[in-house]
Amino acid sequence: MGRRTLMAAVAAMTAHVAFVSTPILAQDPIVLGVIAPLSPPGETALGQLVKRGAELGADYLNEKGGILGRKVTLSIQDSAGKNEQGVAAYRRLVTQDKAVAVFGFVHSGVNIAVNEVAKEMGVPTMGTQTGAGDVTAKKYPIAFRTHAVDPPRAATWVGWIKKNNWKRVAILAETTDFGIGLAKETEKQNKDGNLGLEIQTIMFDRTTTDLLPQLLQVKAFKPDAIVNIGVGQPLELMITQANTVGLLPDVKMVTSYDAPARPQFWQIHGDKWKGVSFIAFYSPKSELSELGKWFAKKYQEKFNEPPVYGALNAFGNAVVFAQAIEKAKSTDPKAMIEALETGSFTGWSAVPVTFPKAEGVLWHNWSPPLMVLTYTAKDQSVGDAEVSYTLDK
Amino acid sequence: MMYTTELLIQTVISGLMVGVLYALMALGITFIYSIVKTINWAMGEFYMIGSYIQFVAVHFLLGPNYWWLAVIISTAGTFLAGYIIEPILIKPMYARPMQRRDDYATVVTIALLLLLRSLAVAIGGPNQYRPETNLPIIWLGPLPQEGARVAASFCAVVALGLFWLVIKKTWVGLALRATAQNRVAAQTSGVDVLRLDATAFAIGVAMAGLAGALLAPLFMVFPTNGAVATVKGFEIIVIGGLGSIPGALIGGLLLGLVESLGTSFISSPYQNAYGFLLVILVLIVKPNGLFGEKVREA
Amino acid sequence: MTAAGSKRGTALIALGLTKHYGGLVANNDVGMRLTSGEVRGLIGPNGAGKTTFVNLVTGVEVPDAGSVRLGDREITGQEPHLIAEAGLVRSFQMARVFGNLTATENLMIPYFASGAREGAAVGVARARELLRLSALEPLADAPANSLSGGQRMLLQTCAGFMIPHLRVYVLDEPFAGINSVVKDTLIDLIMHENSSRGITFLIVSHEMEIIRRMCPLVTVMIAGRVAAEGTLDEVAAREDVITAYLGRTAA
Repeated sequence: MGRRTLMAAVAAMTAHVAFVSTPILAQDPIVLGVIAPLSPPGETALGQLVKRGAELGADYLNEKGGILGRKVTLSIQDSAGKNEQGVAAYRRLVTQDKAVAVFGFVHSGVNIAVNEVAKEMGVPTMGTQTGAGDVTAKKYPIAFRTHAVDPPRAATWVGWIKKNNWKRVAILAETTDFGIGLAKETEKQNKDGNLGLEIQTIMFDRTTTDLLPQLLQVKAFKPDAIVNIGVGQPLELMITQANTVGLLPDVKMVTSYDAPARPQFWQIHGDKWKGVSFIAFYSPKSELSELGKWFAKKYQEKFNEPPVYGALNAFGNAVVFAQAIEKAKSTDPKAMIEALETGSFTGWSAVPVTFPKAEGVLWHNWSPPLMVLTYTAKDQSVGDAEVSYTLDK
Repeated sequence: MMYTTELLIQTVISGLMVGVLYALMALGITFIYSIVKTINWAMGEFYMIGSYIQFVAVHFLLGPNYWWLAVIISTAGTFLAGYIIEPILIKPMYARPMQRRDDYATVVTIALLLLLRSLAVAIGGPNQYRPETNLPIIWLGPLPQEGARVAASFCAVVALGLFWLVIKKTWVGLALRATAQNRVAAQTSGVDVLRLDATAFAIGVAMAGLAGALLAPLFMVFPTNGAVATVKGFEIIVIGGLGSIPGALIGGLLLGLVESLGTSFISSPYQNAYGFLLVILVLIVKPNGLFGEKVREA
Repeated sequence: MTAAGSKRGTALIALGLTKHYGGLVANNDVGMRLTSGEVRGLIGPNGAGKTTFVNLVTGVEVPDAGSVRLGDREITGQEPHLIAEAGLVRSFQMARVFGNLTATENLMIPYFASGAREGAAVGVARARELLRLSALEPLADAPANSLSGGQRMLLQTCAGFMIPHLRVYVLDEPFAGINSVVKDTLIDLIMHENSSRGITFLIVSHEMEIIRRMCPLVTVMIAGRVAAEGTLDEVAAREDVITAYLGRTAA
């Protein structure tokens, strides 16, 4: 094989990998843009789930005859969890691919950075699984979100802790917008609500290979509960090492998102699962919309596992945007935004999706139902997990 | 927090334990560079391959009792992958005259990185896996350590010892040392450097594969799990000097120590910062790394 | 009896070797035949194309035209390590030794690379003997970068002798910049290997006195071509050769 041939082959491979989905339909399709972390340092597992959900969303829309009679295609871009890469992706989506809406965001930093550009360029964004306040709190017309923000999330574990009459709480949080925001919000709710919890907050770097020093400090503090605010690998490492130092299973731990709801939890932790609870936004006990049922069935068929929240939400974003375009009868950004602000839409959940022009972080924000789930037996499915606490709306 | 001698000793031990594994990664990068004169940006993906083989071997075939056999299989498997891939992707760089070799190597290894990651997503999905381990918790004084972590460090030390033996005591080692020093002279002495390239590449990536296999029970198995190890590897290269074997070893231990001490005694959120601080300090004092030779411009 | 007289076969034959570098013709239709066991001198003013010729013969560079045969074997344009395997080995003007390796290790590389069929122990014994002949024995286990320039040249020359099937040895300026004691050691070593093993030599050098001592026949290259062949005294008497050398001196 000649060098040129080789280089061409390599270039072709690279291109194939970098542009996961290529628009192939000729007749003026409607393009939905997706910006998700598909390579590190992004949360790639979540990025892949978002990609799955978005792709099924496009499948659903095309099966139903497209949007305004036009085919739907996706342009999926990789943010790698980096702000500048996400911003570049947004510019490319709007100027080159003519995307009419952009969603899939997982990293708050990327979402916030993109919104700064989007407020000038006009194409609306939807935070799929971004938690930081500023994603919506800046009240930009183009900024929407379908994810639990810090206040209700922190309120969920604070409520769970109060329900169990625990007093001493250790927060182990990674040094990201997500970790810092949630740690502060928890402390704030404790102070503002005069809840009287004794809180120990320890931050750690998300690339850490060893949480032993931090966990030994936690052990010395003798907490009743631990809030695990790690994302991806550190979340799992913390569960492993909390078992090593003997904190788990006696001291209860809650993880800040639904990682343990993924089927891999049992493979990863085997016998060391006791004492772990998790914040969840979806349980198979949750009531689904008709669309959600279609999705759950297809997802199970295609990936041979029950659907998880990240994928559900990405699917939900795609169909909600589609409904907004149908309502506005146009892909004009202003018309779409007005439709989103005033309409009520059907996502994956039986709870209707609305984006009221509310105060603070609740601006343009739809929050899924929040709960704390706890497994009660080994190898249990999420559907059978105990609902330990539900946040009242 | 109490600053006791005991805590200091424990911190040093746990720093050194992580350090030998860092050193393994860095040694792989630097060793490939010293022979093939190519920086392999896909190093983390060979770490990933090693971890996947380890998972499959332990979970489906051997069971946790034979983790050590699985480690040998994973290392051999990554070695083989490297030995097959090198002649296809890297060799064309030397097989004929070419300008901008560095660019070629960069493009090719980054393409390889993307390809391998996508392959992992396609085969294993985005999920995280973990090979089972039944190694008991080992107490180093009052400090509990996962058995898998202690085993990983121990095996890494054994592997480094084996590497030293191969390099110092065998004919292939002699040929590798000669080629590292002067490629053209080695060639004119009759050494088949193109074949040696494949061997060196395979040995280098096998080190990454070994690290991946050993760390799989702790840091899990998923398509992008090699990224952190790669970053640490390159940090060490900057500290120790590109192409220097002692640099990789000492740099690895130093980085492990600095991170561990900084996290325990200064402040835990900035684990990465201590490493980078070390990198910057080294760059100021010795711009080519602690053991680096002056870089020749090609 | 001279070594050259003992055998009549052809060790190496180069025909019509041509090499261009851009517009410059470095070698133009260069031919040479070496008889088995002879010690040939290759002389010529600087820039005459001697090193290019050596590079073309030993596979370091590929000729634009022409062919090289080693005994019965066609070796034109082959990789240097394959040519070395076939028995044609060269040394370099600047001694290419591996400074971080010991003197013994330096010698073991070509031995192993050529297959080491007789085993490592034989190789080590051979290396010891060569180091003794070159008066390098005390430095056998010292890193090569502790050797003097002359000693390195000796070591490099010895490295070629480590190849059991060595047939033709091309030495490019082996005597440049080394002191007279080392020079004598090197000459003795070459003549010893020539008479004991019947190795054929092509020696590129400016040192006319040494060439006169060692080489019954010399080839003269001028401006990329072979200008003359014969004994040193014969070629030194030729008009064109004198002009080429004087021309350089005058310039």
